[in-house]
Amino acid sequence: MISKTVKCPKCETHINIQGNPGETTVISCPNCNIKGKFTFQKEKAEIKTISKHNIIEVKNLTKMFNDFKALDTVSFNVKKGEILGFVGPNGAGKTTTIKLLTNLLTPTSGYAYINNINVNKNPTKALLSVGSLIEVPGIYDYLTPHEILTYFGKIHRMKKNELDQKIKEVLKTVKLSDWEYKKTGSFSTGMQRRLAIAKAILHSPDVLILDEPVIGLDPRGIKDIRDMLKQFKNKGVTIFLSSHLLNEVKETCDRIIFLDGGKIVTQGTIEEIMHRIKIDTIEVEFLNQLTEFDIKKIESIPEINSFEKENGFLKIKFDGKPETSNEILTKLTEQGFKVVSFSTKKADLESFYVSIMNEEKGVM
Amino acid sequence: MDIDRYIPVIDDFRSMYLTIKFELLKHIKRKRILITLILAILIPLIFFIIPPLLGRDYADTANGFANSNLGFVNLLIILSGAIFAGDSISGEFENKTGLLLFPTPQRKSSIFVGKYIASVIATWLIVSLYYLITIIEVASIYGASGISVEIAQSFLLALLYSTSVVSIVFFFSSIMKKTITSSLIGFFLLLMILPIITAVFTVAEVDPWFIVTHNEGLVTDVLETVNEGGFGPGQGFNFTIFKPDLWSGIGVMSAYAVILFLSGIVMANRRKME
Repeated sequence: MISKTVKCPKCETHINIQGNPGETTVISCPNCNIKGKFTFQKEKAEIKTISKHNIIEVKNLTKMFNDFKALDTVSFNVKKGEILGFVGPNGAGKTTTIKLLTNLLTPTSGYAYINNINVNKNPTKALLSVGSLIEVPGIYDYLTPHEILTYFGKIHRMKKNELDQKIKEVLKTVKLSDWEYKKTGSFSTGMQRRLAIAKAILHSPDVLILDEPVIGLDPRGIKDIRDMLKQFKNKGVTIFLSSHLLNEVKETCDRIIFLDGGKIVTQGTIEEIMHRIKIDTIEVEFLNQLTEFDIKKIESIPEINSFEKENGFLKIKFDGKPETSNEILTKLTEQGFKVVSFSTKKADLESFYVSIMNEEKGVM
Repeated sequence: MDIDRYIPVIDDFRSMYLTIKFELLKHIKRKRILITLILAILIPLIFFIIPPLLGRDYADTANGFANSNLGFVNLLIILSGAIFAGDSISGEFENKTGLLLFPTPQRKSSIFVGKYIASVIATWLIVSLYYLITIIEVASIYGASGISVEIAQSFLLALLYSTSVVSIVFFFSSIMKKTITSSLIGFFLLLMILPIITAVFTVAEVDPWFIVTHNEGLVTDVLETVNEGGFGPGQGFNFTIFKPDLWSGIGVMSAYAVILFLSGIVMANRRKME
């Protein structure tokens, strides 16, 4: 007989229960009366392989659409409270992954677990504490945000008083308070997006799966969503975020996965990725304007791969080695150039993204 | 200390109930119910108002009046079925509202069953109003004694036919990409294609007992006894009219309702939001 303390999914009241391994106990919360069940875990081989700290666990996930392999043995995990950025070009397999994680698609092979529950085999339990925003969902344009959110709140067993209050709260978060009782048919794309985000966060989920959440939003809206994600992270919510906006990902995420052609190209924490980004540019400012003759002299320096003039600076591309940088400076001064400033610059995340995608395609 | 949350039981019946309420709300907000309700009031009112205006008498019997009055109920059933069930499944895929609806902790089949029941309820509501108006008219012309058992039988048959019509349109909604296609195919199949096939079988002297629209005639047939049709010898030509049998008609309508509903659920469950 095992004794265990579980908490109510709604009001978080702690309840002591007892049972044998493999046994399912029916529970009723003494506080809010939510009924439920808890299964005392047997030692299952499959369960053992899943880390207790991984909220999302994806193993060898593959999805074929006829002969086209949209996702090819993709494996990754998201730890509790982590924000994972999922980055890749159009057609990389980001949305396919998200649809597999939310049971909108069935995997050809492999599996996806949320909270140790197989999404494909038991979607109703796996998606219980998940809030999702996928692609650009349609909105029931003849209904009001209040009516739409009431339905989705009731699915999550929210009580009327709590629900009404929570609807006001989430609509305030997404800046739609004034539109609560107006038909969504007149909403702009950005407003529809914000309403879909409100639906995703309505039931205070433990896991948020967001597919391009800031598409269609203005800069203010983007900042609001970024701040909201940070607030959720502080509350310990696990977030899986697909985005094209690399700086957005850099600002928000703890870890990034780069996906292309249905495969993971590279992954790492933001620090690891930034560390791997090479210094490949030198910015040089000259005292005098460069003449045609000067340009030809610069072209003759073999250590320079390419260069361009930008805002009064010469941006020189080189191999990134400190010795080469020193050699370029020496040769410039030897040839009589009057250098005012000379500094090396790191490539940004966008350049890194382009370079790894090109490497993947064999373009150098 | 990490404490597991227990999993609340998501009751399939609760999920269906919420879906039914939400679907009916959608029908109300889109004014679909209002439009069909207006038709359900207007059509029987025309049969009540027009004869006195033209100086004509009503039918001799209450059942005769109800028979002519209810001649249009089948058209209203087909229209309601196409309107209420046409987009129940295909609409979620076409308008991408399924991206909001499906990644929720409820079985997809309970969502679809809820949608089907909501379409049936909405259609039944329209049929019931049509019969209510007819019964009020019968009572006002012929007195309360005019309200016969046959009218009640006709009402039950109309509800059964409504269910089979909703099942047919629901099935098309589960396999079609576009809402307009599922609604129009359902509408024209029931209004034109199946009656044409019935006519072809009749000309070939094959009893089309298995065609659902052939059995819709039971809704009015129960109101009065109609002789086996046909012109007699020596009148130039001779053809047979096949009258639907009550019990086989009930069986056929029930079979269409059950088989196409279940097929619709299976097909809808297999659909993916690609």
